[in-house]
Amino acid sequence: MFKHILLPTDGSELSAAAIKQGVRFAESIGAKVTGLCVMPLQHPFLYETEIPMDALEHAAKRYKELADTYLAAIEKEAGEAGVACNVVYEKNDSPYQAIIRVAEQKGCDLIMMASHGRRGVGALLLGSETQRVLTHSKIPVLVYR
Amino acid sequence: MFKHILLPTDGSNLSQVAIQKGVQLAKSIKAKITGISVMPEQKYYLYQTDIIVQVREETVKQHKLQAHRNLSAIEKAAQETGVPCETVCEISDHPYETIIRAAEKRGCDLIMMASHGQRGVKGLLLGS
Repeated sequence: MFKHILLPTDGSELSAAAIKQGVRFAESIGAKVTGLCVMPLQHPFLYETEIPMDALEHAAKRYKELADTYLAAIEKEAGEAGVACNVVYEKNDSPYQAIIRVAEQKGCDLIMMASHGRRGVGALLLGSETQRVLTHSKIPVLVYR
Repeated sequence: MFKHILLPTDGSNLSQVAIQKGVQLAKSIKAKITGISVMPEQKYYLYQTDIIVQVREETVKQHKLQAHRNLSAIEKAAQETGVPCETVCEISDHPYETIIRAAEKRGCDLIMMASHGQRGVKGLLLGS
């Protein structure tokens, strides 16, 4: 029934667990996966003009490196399970918007994500990005706990 | 991977759609399903004791009928696709608690429900 699962990751432990289960689920139903990592944009602060531009570039580079690590974990997991896998790196300050847009662009029919990520309060509330994706997505969302 | 899907229903249109999708998913992954309908508790109001008993009986009857209708829709969808199906009717003022408890009690490994039900404001917010 589901053919293409989007697996957003923020590199947190819970999202790693969701990825594992997501790949397992994809394997069991013969679906492919797309891994997605969304990192914040770099904003120069206009009142601190002496911040060197290369600090921003450095931060951007660091985010990209981290994202590559997180996405490589998805590729590895999928590779081991024999699940077809693509990865996407996005820069956006509203991860949920990027998640929904990428899901639509890539034609995903399911978004599978952890109930909490980095900002989450374990077991108390639903993570803020997951909550926003659930609220705004027209594509089914599977929340992994 | 998922073996037992819980399908909560409140009889709303959106939950009907979710049921169809849930049964479809269950079929494609060879899982069984349990349908659940949670109906509100009837509280006694201490004033107006005369009308209460009668009204209460009537609403309980109506709720049971409604739950039965909701659940038979699940049974029908499951039967048509050949998915093993059980149904449960529970009474509670906090459906979410009852849904989670039922899922745990029955060993469900996935809860599949619509984003909105009867109380929902479509497309604006997630159902409560």
